[in-house]
Order: sequence, then structure tokens, then C-alpha cells
Amino acid sequence: MSGIFDLVKHYPWLPSLEECYPKKASKGPIDFINEIFSSDNNDKIKERILEFFKAAFNKIEDFSFYMDDETNIDFYIGIKIFLSILNNKLIANRIAELYSKITFKSLNKEINNEFNLYYIYKDLNLDVVYSKEPEIYKKIKVKDQDLNLKTKFRIHYIDYLNLASNLRDNYRKLVNNSLHNGYVFIQPDDLNRLIQEYVRIKFLSQVNIEDLREGLFKNQVFKNLYDTISELWEEKKEDFEYSFDMGFKKDQDVSKFLPPCIQEILAKVKEGQNLVHTERLGIVWFLNALKYPEEEIINLFSSLPDFDRDKTGYQVRYAIKKGYTPYSCKTLKSYNLCMAKKYKDKLCLNGYFSKKYDEQKKISHPLFYVQFTQFVSAMKKK
Amino acid sequence: MKKDIKKVIMSDIRYLNRLFKDYYRGIRKDLPLVNSFSKREFGFIPWDKQIRMIRHISFSSRENLMTNLFNNGPRHVYSSGALYQQPENQNMDGKGFKGCDLIIDIDADHFYTPCKEDHDLWYCKECGKSGQGTVTICPSCKKSKFKTLTWICEECLDIAKNEIIKLIHDFLIPDFGIDLNDIRIAFSGHRGYHLKIENERIRTLSSDERRELADYIAGENISLEILGFQAKGGTFYRFSEDTIGWAQKIMRKTVEILNKQDKEIKNLLSTNQKFNFSNNYIKSFINSKQDFLNTIKETKRFILPSIEGFGITNWNKFFTGIVHEIGVEIDTPVTIDIHRLIRYPGSLHGKTGFKVQEILPDEIDDFNPLDERIKRLDPIIFESKVQTTQKLEILEEQVPATKIKGEKFGPYSKGEIVEVPHHIAIFLLCKEVAKTI
Repeated sequence: MSGIFDLVKHYPWLPSLEECYPKKASKGPIDFINEIFSSDNNDKIKERILEFFKAAFNKIEDFSFYMDDETNIDFYIGIKIFLSILNNKLIANRIAELYSKITFKSLNKEINNEFNLYYIYKDLNLDVVYSKEPEIYKKIKVKDQDLNLKTKFRIHYIDYLNLASNLRDNYRKLVNNSLHNGYVFIQPDDLNRLIQEYVRIKFLSQVNIEDLREGLFKNQVFKNLYDTISELWEEKKEDFEYSFDMGFKKDQDVSKFLPPCIQEILAKVKEGQNLVHTERLGIVWFLNALKYPEEEIINLFSSLPDFDRDKTGYQVRYAIKKGYTPYSCKTLKSYNLCMAKKYKDKLCLNGYFSKKYDEQKKISHPLFYVQFTQFVSAMKKK
Repeated sequence: MKKDIKKVIMSDIRYLNRLFKDYYRGIRKDLPLVNSFSKREFGFIPWDKQIRMIRHISFSSRENLMTNLFNNGPRHVYSSGALYQQPENQNMDGKGFKGCDLIIDIDADHFYTPCKEDHDLWYCKECGKSGQGTVTICPSCKKSKFKTLTWICEECLDIAKNEIIKLIHDFLIPDFGIDLNDIRIAFSGHRGYHLKIENERIRTLSSDERRELADYIAGENISLEILGFQAKGGTFYRFSEDTIGWAQKIMRKTVEILNKQDKEIKNLLSTNQKFNFSNNYIKSFINSKQDFLNTIKETKRFILPSIEGFGITNWNKFFTGIVHEIGVEIDTPVTIDIHRLIRYPGSLHGKTGFKVQEILPDEIDDFNPLDERIKRLDPIIFESKVQTTQKLEILEEQVPATKIKGEKFGPYSKGEIVEVPHHIAIFLLCKEVAKTI
């Protein structure tokens, strides 16, 4: 079992950073940058930060420089300061994705060291229960064998829902999990995946330090490193900044007719945010139903952090070949992908008046939303 | 029929309004005080011909609320499940949201009960055909423009009550570990019950997170496959009764059904809206029921028995039906809406004249809103002590029978002059199916 200081060095996003290393945690960005770039470690930190940005821009999913030394804390805080000053959502998403993936791998290496995991969960103030003996919570048939799923970890359902709210896969839905007396039985790697998401979100919630830009740039090492990272980005940004032309559909521009659920997914794509599985399927089936060309749909995913053209191409072609119907509003709601309230969309929220039925009707499918808004627009033009 | 407010006589509206004022004047300090009272938003629907909600109101004390109630005697009174810094702020974004209790609404209106075939009525606006029960398409003209008249009886209120009991004892306590002390239950004063969970941690849940809870309780969006149901090369594998959560519930319910008499199984699988199997399938299912039970009880193997006609479709249909049997019939939009107003406990329901009655969890088993013996829990507050009666003229084509306090009144037809006890008169007037003469 590691001590809390070691854990914080390894996982500097832990809340205990403030208690264990209060000087580092509470220092203002300018003082912090001046201190790390004037220390003996200067070259080491510089190299680590630069290599990390390079890895992120080159879509590499591993980072050999990640170590559990004290420099790791400086590296973590330094990266966050650079992201705030770079102020670019695409870069932030790339970095958050890579850092959180490394975290996930690191946490999974601790699976045999359950006390470390338990302390990490507790440090995050998660209501996690650890039992000495593993408990069987699920029995299923896997490849002709009866498999007993056991775990020593349980997490309170409220914490589970908080962590899993962005991950909308079917098997993470509460109804498909083992829940007893307020706690969800969970395998440590599944819990670590939720922590990965926590770390990713933490990276994206940057503090605005724009007013410190000038002060930070007075530190020449910082300024040079900033310029190098910016140049690297200039070379690579084309790979990420693909703009998706929603204008296609029998020469009509349908972009203004899109329902909020689709707008939200496209906005995420534009910012290079990761899409969960259901969002990916949802957008492919939706665009396919609108007869978007296959290549256009594949290109849409090129800005995502984990884009792989061959894999994406195969998956998109498979989904198109299967000819699935896009998700209905009911299904979108069940996956928490309905954005009617967030966008305050009147058509989604209030429905429309049907003359045929002489009553208010609800929109039940995003494709109907497009059809209806197109129809209303055409009538207005007439 | 419903909402045909032109028929309602202004003098009757004024009469009901006065009665409601008198009620509020009489109870004063007896009106329950909801938790965090001053942080709640209040809403009222007055006795106007046009239904309109007046909301974004707050009260610093029960006295202020009571003054409002006995001065105005509103038709309906609501308060928010949410707590706000400024509940009176007209702008929702400006209220300063501070969390929301978890509200679960169970309303007989939202699910099928056999008694609706007797007491609910529909009238086709297109062709004029009318009938009992509920329809989605007119059997005569195939159109779907209806006026409806929905009624209440002990049977549908009992079904709603049993759903609340199921919710507490099959879900909230064993699965969610909810403390009974955090649970508040109220009869809504009409067709159902509200259950509120007042707990600091639960108040933090977002709307999306509440949907996950609602799905769990109702068994919605369940994946039979993830829980263990599989089809492999013509062999079907079931869930394990040792899998904690829904799989266990499904297996327990399956065993419970298999242990029923053949006749009961037949009724369940055929007439129940949740299964709807044809006779041939039911016959083969019943023929294999012992085999099915044996595989579960004795072999502990996950293989499902071979039942004639039962392929992937029918197995899915069977287990989906079981899920619906187990799940609680909740009104999901209420649960996921963090800004919803719900009826204030102790207030009167303007569609019945009944009180929104709070009940403790250990009182609900014996609670009977239409014939409650414990005075403290009786929602029918207009029962005359001197057995006064009132003369009314029926305004609706048909009015179903009403059984309250063990006595049955009706059915009635349009134009009929009836003399009924005071509380029945108030009920019929609130239902807008009669006028005083």
C-alpha cells in the first residue's frame, strides 16, 4: 500500500493535493510557472509537457514519460496552466482525453493493490464500500461456461449516477446493474473507467486566467514552450478541424432544421469532444436516414480524439449496411441524449398543433422534427 | 364532458369557492407544513372559468399561506418539490435552484385497470358514438378525436395504492436503501398517490440521473441480454436468481407465476395487457411449466426448457411481460422534472373536493380513501354531520356510479334530478357533471 503522498504524486488530480502539497496547490499560476522553470527540474518538466502535447496532437494513446515522481505534480499543474492560456477547446479535449486514458491505465495497474484504489475512491469523497471477501453479484453464461462475477467494491448509487451520467452505454444504465441497499456492485476496472471520465471532465473545466497571460509570457521558458506548442498545433490542426457541411440533402440546407439532440452531438464533434457509443450510432443512423454520403459521415468523426479512419470507415459502413432506423425521441430520452430542455426547443417541448387530429401532438422522432420544420419553412415561403 | 366548462354554472363555482374558503378557515394550524417551507415555490389554480395557474409565489410562514388560502379558497394548491433561494422570482433561472426532493407520482389515469371498462366513458367528436372504457380509435369512424369522462372507484385506487406499496417494499427500501423516515406519502385527492423522498443527497440528483432512477423502478430500458438472457444455437439461457437486481426479481416472479394454478396462468398470459399470448402458446407454456420449474429449482442450470413455439420472440415477450408485472407504474415525467409543482398536503383537490391526505408508510395498507374509518386520515371532508342532502340536475349524457362511504349513487343520465348527500353533491359539482337547482 502506498502512502497518501505517493498516491498524490501518481494521481495529482486527487483532492488531497491541497493537503499534501499545499505550496504547489495554492500557488498562483505566475509564481508556479516561475518556480518550476527556474528549478533544477526545468528541462525535465519542459520535456514532459512538450512530449505530452506532441503525443496528444499525434493521437498517440500512451505516454512513457508519465511517472509517479514529484515532477508529475508540476507536470499536471503546468499542463492545466498551458491549456487555460491556449484556450482552445479542440486542444483541451485532446489533452483531457489522453490524460484521462493514461489515468485509467494507471488505475487499472492498481487492481491488485486494492487498498490504493480504495484510498483513491475515498479521497474523491466517493461513497464506496470495500469488503474483504469478494461477493458474487452476477451469474451468467459465457461461452458455454457458467461465470460468477465477484467484486469487493460497491458504490452508492448517487455517486454512481454522478460519475456515469456522461457515459450512456446500455450496460452502465442503473437498471442493468446489480443494486442492493443503495449500493451498485462494481468491478474496479469499471469504477476506474468512471474515474477516467471524472478526470477528463476536471481537465475541461479550466479556470479563466486570461488576465495572467502577459505576466506568464514574461517567463521566457514558458513563452518559448507556448510558441512551440502553438506551432505544433498549427501543423496538426487540420487533422482535427474538419468542418462538417450539413448542407447536403438533395441540394437543400437542412442545418437549420436539426433537432437539439442532433445539434448537441454536432456541437461536441466541432469541439473535438469525445462521443459516447450511443451518440456515435445515433448520428450515423440519423445522417444515413437523411442520405448523407458515407464519406461525409466518416469525415465527421475525424475530429474526435480517438479517430481511426479505417476502423471508423468499417463501423460506419456496417451501420449503414444494416439500415437501422435512427433513435426515436423515447430512446434518445432513455439514453439521456434528448436536449429539448437544454436548448429550450419549443417544438420538442410543446409539440405542434395537428389540424388533422384537432389536437396538440408531441414530436416523437428527430426525423419528423426535420420534416416538420422543413414543411413549416416551405409554407412560410409560399 | 371533461373540461366543457361552459356547462358549469357560475353560482356553483362561487358556492364551491366559498366551501373551500370555509375549509381553509376551519383548519388553520392543522395544515401540514412541508419541509423547508419558505424555500418552496407555490402555485394556485383559482375558481375561474378559464383554467390558469398562478405561480412563482412564496410564503415566509404558514400563517401567510393560510391567510391566502382562506381569502381566496383556490381550486388547486401546489408547492414545488424543489428548494430555491428566491422561490418567488418570476424567472426560473433566477430562482437559485437548491435541489429537489424526489417525487414519484402514481396515478390510475396512467395505466390500465379493468374497472375503467365500467366507469370511464368516451365520446367520439367526429361521429357521436360513445362507449365505456378507453379507446384510442373510434370503432365506428376510426377517428381519434374524443371527449372523455374518467371516474374513480375503490378498485382503481386500490391498484394505485398497491403500486405505492410495491414501490416502497420492492424497490425503495431493498434496492435503494431509502430510510422510511425520509418517505412522505399522500393520497392526491383524486386518482392516485404521490411519494416524496426528502433526503439531502437525493436532492442533488439531476434530471438525467432521476430518469435512471425512474427507469430502474419502472423496469424501462432494461436489457434482458445484459442481465443474462441469451440465445445460442437454438438454446436459450435464462437469468440467474443469484444475480442481484432485476435478474433476481425476474426469476422470482417467474417462479411465482409457474407456481400458480393453470387457470390463473392462462388468465395472466392471455388477458393481461402485459403478455397477450395466443391460446396455443399458453397451452404449450402450461404443458412445460413443471419442466420449467424443475430446471430452475433443481438443476441450477441456466438453460430454458424447450417449449413448443417459444423462440427468441416469445421468450422476449414473456420476460418483457414479467418485467412489466414487476415494474411500478410511475408517471416518469413527474419524477424527472425538477421544477414540478405538486399538490400541497392538506389542500383540497378541485376536481373532487377531497383532501390531499398525508399517510404514514405503516398506515397505507389499511388506508381506503373512499371509505376511511380513521377520522384523522379521511380525505372526504365535506361529509355532513347532520346528513343534509342537496338536489342536483345531471348535465352529462351519462354519469357513472359513485361509491363513497360504502354507499352507491348513480349511475345517472342527463336531465335527471337527484337528491344526494352533501359530500356526493360536492364531488359531482367538482367533477362538473351536475348543477345545483
